Amino acid sequence: MMTVQGTERPAIHRKGEDTMTNIIETQDLCKTYGSHTAVDHLDLQVPEGSVYGFIGPNGAGKSTTMKMLLGLIHPTGGTVRLLGQRMNEHNRRAILRHTGSLIESPAGYAHLTAQENLQIVADLKQVPRKEIDRVLEIVHLKEYRRRKVGQYSLGMRQRLGIAQALLGSPELLVLDEPTNGLDPAGIQEMRSLISEMPCTCGATVLISSHLLNELEMIVDHVGIINNGQLLFQGPLENLRRHSQGDILLEVLNPVQARRVLGTARISAGDGGAPDRLLLPALSPRLLAELVQQLADQGAGVVGVTRRTKTLEEIFLSLTETGKEVG
Amino acid sequence: MLMRCILAENRKLHGAVIWLVFLVVPIISALYGTVNFLQNLGLLTFDWYNLWTQHTLFYTLFFFAPMVGVYAAYLWRLEHLGHNWNLIMAAPVRRSYVFLAKFLVVAKMTLLTQGWVFLLYLLAGKLWARLPGWPPAMIVIWLLRGVLGSLGVIAFELLLAMIIRSFAVPVLVGLAGGVSGMLAASRGFALLWPFALMQAGMNSNRKEDMLGGQFAPFVLACLIWAGVFLSLAAMLLRARDVRAE
Repeated sequence: MMTVQGTERPAIHRKGEDTMTNIIETQDLCKTYGSHTAVDHLDLQVPEGSVYGFIGPNGAGKSTTMKMLLGLIHPTGGTVRLLGQRMNEHNRRAILRHTGSLIESPAGYAHLTAQENLQIVADLKQVPRKEIDRVLEIVHLKEYRRRKVGQYSLGMRQRLGIAQALLGSPELLVLDEPTNGLDPAGIQEMRSLISEMPCTCGATVLISSHLLNELEMIVDHVGIINNGQLLFQGPLENLRRHSQGDILLEVLNPVQARRVLGTARISAGDGGAPDRLLLPALSPRLLAELVQQLADQGAGVVGVTRRTKTLEEIFLSLTETGKEVG
Repeated sequence: MLMRCILAENRKLHGAVIWLVFLVVPIISALYGTVNFLQNLGLLTFDWYNLWTQHTLFYTLFFFAPMVGVYAAYLWRLEHLGHNWNLIMAAPVRRSYVFLAKFLVVAKMTLLTQGWVFLLYLLAGKLWARLPGWPPAMIVIWLLRGVLGSLGVIAFELLLAMIIRSFAVPVLVGLAGGVSGMLAASRGFALLWPFALMQAGMNSNRKEDMLGGQFAPFVLACLIWAGVFLSLAAMLLRARDVRAE
């Protein structure tokens, strides 16, 4: 499969350094279960300060990758670097002290209150109790802190999961499908919560989803994974550049139009009606010249419509064919 | 770091249903034991030692090891449910400390259980059987020895509950362990089988000291068995991938 690597990345600076820093870096990361390869030579690069959307269909290898980042499962091959340190037995605790995570679905002890659940995580992370108030405030659960988590709705549990991850003001947040199972209002709330993380908490966020459109409002970097392989990685705008799609041309004289297009060596497809022609993606300048020629040579241009591909279409195209759409 | 893990484990027991088991099971055991004692006074002497033999006959055979199994299974069940494995294993603590904290918390619960068993024995003897005087101090020593004797079983049951996600298995293994412990202890193999150490420590169903002054080998055996299962758990936690459901 072809990997499309983004070329442009914003310059990220860390404490006066002039070089960009990736807060997550994996190299040739692999995980196999018997003959099944769940993660296949993955080179993930998550810039510091970014909200990185890790997108792929169910079973693509997102959760496995995230678990390997956190040391929850052992890679078959390759390396993981988090916060500038290699993830291994020696560094594991130091890295995890600065990392918050929500993996697979929100954890929690149903017979305990939200306050008690957060206290358990605070104990394990050795963070002061006042941190609990802060994170409850951020996820808007302060007034429900004394309610047992077993009585929480899924949305509230997801928010509690985020609160657990936020304890100790981590530099890195790893969130695995935090919008899973939420209603549209819950998704919206979670989106705004996460998009504010770099500003409100100073954290880099790695967030996964199987839906690109769910994340495109909040992420600035994207990695698309399928069958364990990274198909695209880079700034979101690089992905958007691939969104220029076909052009639908409506003319009065299709025969003449085809003649002009043939001379210009532009292939014209069926537009769904005799007077409609489907042209491939063209640059704005080329398109302007072509319309001029068609008009001058009597094709009778009635309409030109650029069919912009949604990011979802690009994503589907990438994950279904394994390569970029034309 | 271990203290933080213990704090977290203790917090998980707030309002937990496990306390119901803690309260009720020794009561059932004390009821059986006292009724049996009172109905067999033709064969038994009417004294505190004989009441002890009847209380521990049922308690160590059918209740002690399964209760440890219930405690262990409950503490791991909390992690098996609700993806909490991911939560605890992504915490910045030693993996082995997570297990060790559970071990110490179950040991603490076992100690409390023994205290409750003693209180019920005292109440049954004084208020129900109306035995004269007070129980011998040795009984308290036997109860504490029972806690020591249970350390290997606690570690074993926790290991079992960690690997097998079923709640029933550690409890049933505890039940089978109680019976096998009684058989092993009665044949002089108390030090070779962790479930037998519980029986020997408690001086179950005996008036004479089952250890016969062999306290040091007993303590050593308890520590070795616990150490073996704790080490095995630490190795597994380090080597295995986390699988949350």
